Amino acid sequence: MRSDFVVREVVTGLRRNVTMTVAMVLTTAISLGLVGTGLLAVRTIDRTEQLYSDRVEVQVALTSDVSANDKDCSQPVCAGLKSTLENSPLVESVRFENQEQAYERYKELFAGQSLADLVRPQSLPATLRVRLSDQQAGADAVRQAMAGQVGVRNVIDQRDVVAKLFDFLGGVRNVTFALAMVQAVAALLLISNTVQVSAFTRRTEVGVMRLVGATRWYTQLPFLIEAVVTGVVGALIAVGGLLVGKFLFIDELLSGIVSNGVVPPIEVADIIWVSPILVMIGAGIAAVTGYVTLRLYVRL
Amino acid sequence: MIDAKYADVPSGWSWAPRGRVGCQPDVHPPVASASVIRLERVTKLYKTSTRPALDRVSVAVDKGEFVFLIGPSGSGKSTFLRLLLREDVPTRGNIFVSDLNVAKLPRRRVPRLRQRIGCVFQDFRLLPNKTVGGNVAFALEVIGKQSATIKKVVPEVLDLVGLQGKAERMPHELSGGEQQRVAIARAFVNRPLVLLADEPTGNLDPDTSQDIMLLLERINRTGTTVVMATHDHSIVDSMRRRVVELDLGQVVRDESRGVYGVGR
Ligand SMILES: Nc1ncnc2c1ncn2[C@@H]1O[C@H](COP(=O)(O)OP(=O)(O)O)[C@@H](O)[C@H]1O
Ligand SMILES: [Mg+2]
Repeated sequence: MRSDFVVREVVTGLRRNVTMTVAMVLTTAISLGLVGTGLLAVRTIDRTEQLYSDRVEVQVALTSDVSANDKDCSQPVCAGLKSTLENSPLVESVRFENQEQAYERYKELFAGQSLADLVRPQSLPATLRVRLSDQQAGADAVRQAMAGQVGVRNVIDQRDVVAKLFDFLGGVRNVTFALAMVQAVAALLLISNTVQVSAFTRRTEVGVMRLVGATRWYTQLPFLIEAVVTGVVGALIAVGGLLVGKFLFIDELLSGIVSNGVVPPIEVADIIWVSPILVMIGAGIAAVTGYVTLRLYVRL
Repeated sequence: MIDAKYADVPSGWSWAPRGRVGCQPDVHPPVASASVIRLERVTKLYKTSTRPALDRVSVAVDKGEFVFLIGPSGSGKSTFLRLLLREDVPTRGNIFVSDLNVAKLPRRRVPRLRQRIGCVFQDFRLLPNKTVGGNVAFALEVIGKQSATIKKVVPEVLDLVGLQGKAERMPHELSGGEQQRVAIARAFVNRPLVLLADEPTGNLDPDTSQDIMLLLERINRTGTTVVMATHDHSIVDSMRRRVVELDLGQVVRDESRGVYGVGR
């Protein structure tokens, strides 16, 4: 195979059809950018799940009089509740957090925001923070055992809060994947159309090639490479778009929850991780589409 | 009439002629294994027509022969040539080109067949955006020939067809006759076993046609078998070569030293 010949044909082909090539590259880029966003959402969901699996607790909030009078869970009501929890096989550990500690944490969490000034130590409950050894059955067991007990105000399962976050991230992922699919169809059709147009504008060349006995590789490879090049360029633009998007929007959008450690930040490394995937998808889809188009529509 | 310039193969020509040179058999032998082209009761029915384009055609062409394929328009001359090139497959019958069973050839081996056959057409089929040299070189590039070989061989073949010094011209800067010379150079540059020509003089005036015929004769003298479809009476009559006449898809005449129309 003469590579100089193929390169020359590909360059001529791409130049001959500039507007179409640009449209194809941009559509591919948008589609792959959305796929990339979806992949980043998936990665964030995984990371967040990891982050929470060893942090999630069930909080048993104590009534205000217990909270106000017991600084170290030494009095009978609190101590009783604590030992009940500790004796359960579903529970790994129980930690007591008094009003002062709750207030400190609260201030930390909402540092610099007006909410921090609204709250006084007395308005926050003391809590028993329960680490579960059995994530599945544990939360319900704790809820059943504690609800209605003397000294218990309510039971908060942090996983309910986290579930909402996961719902949100999952939604982002689904929406981006759905949009990516629609865009991918558009990209596919454009690639197919471009290959057809390209083959049509070069029908004289292809005719001569067939006539003098060029193999399928020689007649088809320029078209395939043309498609693959646009796929790869589209993927690279998509990666660039993700980087720009990270610094311009995502960092801003997530800054609050990231600094509170609710979700891990999206790093440049994450985008570097998705880029080869995008390039492979871009090149693969373009190659397959090109090949199928040549087979179905173009007599070579 | 005969242009002395083209009367012989240039001495610089690097491909030695194969087989007998300048010696045509007066009587073509019966079907033999020496045939370069052999059609055995070939019938071609196009889906859209009721009458076969070729009807039980049997023809054998020996190595080094020059054959005119004549007949009125629609008699099946182009179909005959297209089947040899495997542009299409016969409905019935066998076709052999050298040792290849053309109709049964698997797709991936069709290029090998076409590399052994050169062809030229009435409409030249040159690439308008390539120079004369580029057009000829293209035929070698796309079958993977080394660029050193191409650089050496292209000027040689341009000399052979009488286009020395015109390698850098664009096709639209050439006369019709010169364009057909480029097409012939392109068809011949890979030294095919067979040269097929479908009405190569159809677009040319009589004098230019005569020049093209001399060139085809010269190529035939290098040992290349030539099959030329035409309905140009004067050319056939002046050359006195083998004539195969088709009518309504059937061979109605096969004479080793024919003229166009008997008794005309
Ligand atoms: N692709 C085709 N489809 C259907 N009929 C065809 C096709 N090509 C040729 N024919 C028919 O086959 C017959 C022979 O055509 P052709 O081989 O082109 O003759 P010639 O070259 O002698 O003029 C004609 O009747 C023509 O209409
Ligand atoms: Mg014809």
